[in-house]
Order: sequence, then structure tokens, then C-alpha cells
Amino acid sequence: MIEREVVVGHRLGLHARAAARVVQLASQYQSSIALFRNDHGKDVEADARSILSILFLAAAHGATLIIRADGVDENDAVSAICEYLQG
Amino acid sequence: MSEERIIRGVMASSGVAIGRAIRIFDPLLISYNFHIEPADSTKEVARFRDSVEKCRKQLERMQAELRGSSIPESSYFVDAHLLILKDKLFVDRIIDKIQAEAVNAEWAIQQVSGELYEAYDRLHDDYLRERRIDLEDIVRRMLHNLRSKSSSTVPTLPYDAVLVGKSIPPSTLFELRSARVAGLVTETGSPLSHTAIVARSLGLPAVVGIHDLSGISSGDPLIVNGTRGFVICDPDRATLKEYRQKTKQQRTTLRRSSGTPCTTQDGVRISLGANINFCEEAQSAATNRMEFIGLYRTEFDFFKEDGKPSEEELTAQYTKVLQSLRPAPVTFRTADVGPDWKSGDGTGSSLASRGLRFSLENQDLFKLQLRSLLRASRVGGMRILLPFVSTIDDLDAAIEIIAGVKKDLARHHHKFDRDVPIGVMIETPAAAQTCDLMASRVDFFCLGTNDLIQYYLVIDRSDQSAAQHYTPFHPAILRCLHQVYTLLQYSGRPVTVCGEMAADTAAAAVLLGLGFTSLSVSLSAYSRMRETISTLNLGKLHELAGEIMKMDSPKKIEERVRSTIG
Repeated sequence: MIEREVVVGHRLGLHARAAARVVQLASQYQSSIALFRNDHGKDVEADARSILSILFLAAAHGATLIIRADGVDENDAVSAICEYLQG
Repeated sequence: MSEERIIRGVMASSGVAIGRAIRIFDPLLISYNFHIEPADSTKEVARFRDSVEKCRKQLERMQAELRGSSIPESSYFVDAHLLILKDKLFVDRIIDKIQAEAVNAEWAIQQVSGELYEAYDRLHDDYLRERRIDLEDIVRRMLHNLRSKSSSTVPTLPYDAVLVGKSIPPSTLFELRSARVAGLVTETGSPLSHTAIVARSLGLPAVVGIHDLSGISSGDPLIVNGTRGFVICDPDRATLKEYRQKTKQQRTTLRRSSGTPCTTQDGVRISLGANINFCEEAQSAATNRMEFIGLYRTEFDFFKEDGKPSEEELTAQYTKVLQSLRPAPVTFRTADVGPDWKSGDGTGSSLASRGLRFSLENQDLFKLQLRSLLRASRVGGMRILLPFVSTIDDLDAAIEIIAGVKKDLARHHHKFDRDVPIGVMIETPAAAQTCDLMASRVDFFCLGTNDLIQYYLVIDRSDQSAAQHYTPFHPAILRCLHQVYTLLQYSGRPVTVCGEMAADTAAAAVLLGLGFTSLSVSLSAYSRMRETISTLNLGKLHELAGEIMKMDSPKKIEERVRSTIG
């Protein structure tokens, strides 16, 4: 299992189209992938394969997220998603 | 009969439409709770899965059709819908509910979507909260598919309809495309919303962001002015007549302007260009054989829904605009945005940071756009215009940034037009007073009369109670225009008037009388202004200008101009 921190670079944050892209990207890997956002000390979790859970994460431009992947291709999965999120 | 009312909103798709309102209510399809025999829940799950499959097929068909349209981006919203159809938070929970509680599919859908709507409503971000429209759209489609055996049919509309709703899902708009829809008006949404993009791809005039639509009922006569961003309710006869003329011209513009030069009655050549707001309008301007595009307001196309635009996308988009209009030159005004750019009307309440000021404070975005513009300039015909310039220092800073971007592009072996003309938009009193000082630094000027008048006369154009004081015939404006013209004459730099003044017969007559010979108007006003100019006698207009410069009352000046030109 690996984790990496990333700052959302998209101007509008993780909005509909960006969220859709994350789901599409995540679907290319076998690992389970989750996104975490710290909201006032409380971690909010989203499944990278669920567009609704990513939207409800409400990650704005500049928000810090932790991407966690677990599986055979965890390194590639985390890199691909972080690279995309940086914008 | 009720009185004519004007409701202001935000332009989302150009053109004007006349029709009657059809209220589109939120898709509140009511479902009932049936208990089913636990043994039958497998059958019910299968019934639900069938409806999901049916939705998927419908959406994929829509996606394919939109991808093949003039604006492939209009298919993007379908991506999100298709993903929601696969989302475990939605689909798996509905299946669980059907099985665990032995309820019918409709009820399970209603319960699960209700919880998800609440999750949307708890979001603090306006944009994200509005995305519940995606889920509502899917739910509506599913319930419809569960109810009827046949696939959805297009309703017959009894008249040319203007769709009016708090929000109108893009898929509804798309499905109604073959019905008699003339335009649309919504409370929510922005020029960037999926509905707006689909409206543009279908060529339907649209106004969004109207505060209160409660006064409009189905059947009310409506005029949608998508070019200027307002709606006229219960228009009176004169207004209707004026707009019928406009819609007629909209249709005939294509054939009429045959590429012959525009001249006054006494044979003086006037350059007449068109203003566009969206890249897809370039195509219709091209078929119109416009002489030039005097103003392409790039801010509407600049940001995409997923945020930061990409240099490659913008370069391709700008190249396409230039190529489709070739050999007509196109003036690209760099994105005139401020912190409130999302409102899209560009009138910007926050004056502190607008236009060039905002660009200088957000240099990453400014440089990104400059790189894209310069890279597209290699195909020729590009002119770059800087908006809302107010001081020489800002202008110098912008010119330095442009030089830096050019250097960088050259270092990376990108081809571009090294001599691409740079211009200043005169739209602040400060720029009007100092345009001679700016002239040695730039190649051309555009005169944006809308903002100039607003700031000269201290009138907020979005405030209706002050609208009556907004007039281009104020002596202060005439003196200002005369001064700008004279200062620029000495400098030898060309100037094009791009504001609404250029599209009003009497105001345009004043501009020509003062000496301006280059005007640029909205696409929908183009053929009308061409015709108007051919009836004007420039010699007489010069005389008229001399007279009105000595007059003092805006009202009397306007009367004098209108009576002279007849």
C-alpha cells in the first residue's frame, strides 16, 4: 500500500469533468484507490471509482488530498492520479 | 394586456428568439412504495438492471451524436451521466435496498437518490451543488424507462417554445432538438454550463442566471435576446415588430452580405466587422464573409468546466478560428475576467481587479493564453487586444510579458508571427485621456463604448433604475469620442469602434460623423448595419457632428440626430 499527498491544481477544483477523468483513470488499474481530504481534523474518504463520492469530497482548487492505492499496480496508479490532479 | 418587462440575465448562446414560454418543472416524478414478495425481489432487481441498461444505451447514442456535432465538447456531460450509472453509491445501494427491504425499484431509486440529493445540498461550493442536476437527470430517465415500454418520444410542442426553468438538463434540451424549441431561459447556470454548451451547439439563443422566473407562466409571449443577455416578457407590438425584423435578418444574413465592401450613400468606404463571443461563432461569421472580426471576447471560451485551460487545446481552438475566417483578420481580446468571471457578463462589479489588471495579478493564466495565441498566430491574421487598460505602467508590463513569452517560444522552436499586432481596448476614461501616450507602444486601438459610457457617466448598466441615464448622446461622451479620434489621428494608429454604439443607427451616425470609419458589431446586427450605412450620407453626418458638438442636452442631441437621419 502506498500513499502520496497532492495539491489540486484544477482551477475549479475536482468538478464534474475532472471527477469523471479521475474515475476513468482509476478504472485502468487493478489496485483499490482512495482519496482522502482532511476537513477540520476529520478525514473524508472517496473511492476513486465512484464519481459521486469524488464530487462529495468537494475538493477545491488548492486543496490537499492524500491518494492511497493498494494492489499490484499501486505505484503507477498513484502516479497517474497525482499527475492528473496537479493540473 | 400586461405590460412589457425586461429581465436581465447572462448571455449563454447568441441570437434572438421569439416564442411562448413553456415552464419546465424540476423532474419530480413521484414514486410509490410497493412491498413485493421477497421471492420476487430477484425479478425486481432484474427489472431495475434493465432500466439501467436502457439508460446506458440512450446515453451512448446521445454521446455519439453530440461528439459528431459542431461542438464535440457538448458531449462531456454525458460522460458524468454514464459514470453515475455505474456508481456503486447509486446503483449498488438501490439493488441492496430492493433486496433487503423487498420494495419496488422506483421506491428504492427515490430513497437512494433522496439521500444523495441531501449530500449535494450540504456542499458549500455553488458549482458542485448545482451538479445535482446530473443525478436528477439520470433519475428522471430511469423512472421513465421503468414506466414505459417504448423509448422516450419527443413531445409535440404547440407553438415556438422558449423553455423556461430553474434549470434545464442538457439532455432534455438535446432530446427536444427536433421539436419547436426557439430558445431557453434558466435561473441557474452559467455560459460554461453543459446546457449552455448544448444550446450553442444547437444554435438556440439562451439567457441564464435570471434571478426570478416566477412571474413567467407557460404560454406567456417571450423574446430571448441571447446576444445581450436579457428576456422581454409580454413584449408590446413595436418591440415584437423590431424583433421579428431581427430574427428575419438572422436568417438572411448568411446570403445577404456577399463580401462586397460596405460604403456610405456618398461612396465612402466603411470597414464593418463583427464581434464574436464563442469560437463556434467563427464558422457562421466565415459563411457570412465578414470583412474582419473586430472583437473576439475570448473569456467565454477560456475556462473549461474542469478548470485550467490547456495550452494545446487553446492553440488548436485559436488556430481553427483563424483558419475558418481566413483571409479576414481576427482581433482576439485576451480574457477580460475578474474574480467574478463565473457570472460571465463581463460587466464585473469588482473594478479593482479586471481585464489587464487581473491578468497582471494572475500572470500564469495570462502567459498561458499569450502562448496559445502566439502559437496560433503562425497561420496569420491574428491581432491581440488588451482589455481594460488604465495606465501606461500596466501596458508596459503587459508588453514586457508578451516579449518574454515570445522569447520563450522562440527558444523552444515554436513558430509564431513575430510582428503580431498588439492593441489596446479604450474603455476606461483613463485610457481615453491618454491614448496618445499609449499609441507609440502599440499597433492599433479598439474603442469599447459600453464600458466607456458607463464609467464616464457613472452608471451601472446592470441597474435598471439607472438605465435611463445611460446615453451615448451625452456631450461628455461626444467630447471624449472627438478627443480620442483626434489624438489617434495624429498618432496614425487605426481604431475600430466595437461597442453597442456601433450597432445603433443614430449612435453609429454620430461615430461616422465624428470621423470613425471602422465599426464592429454583433453578428446579429451585421446585415442591418450594413444596410443602414449604405443609406447614410457621410458629408451630411460631418455637418451634423459639428452642430451637435455645440449642443448641451443629451435628449435634444439624440432628437436632432434621429430627425436628421430620418
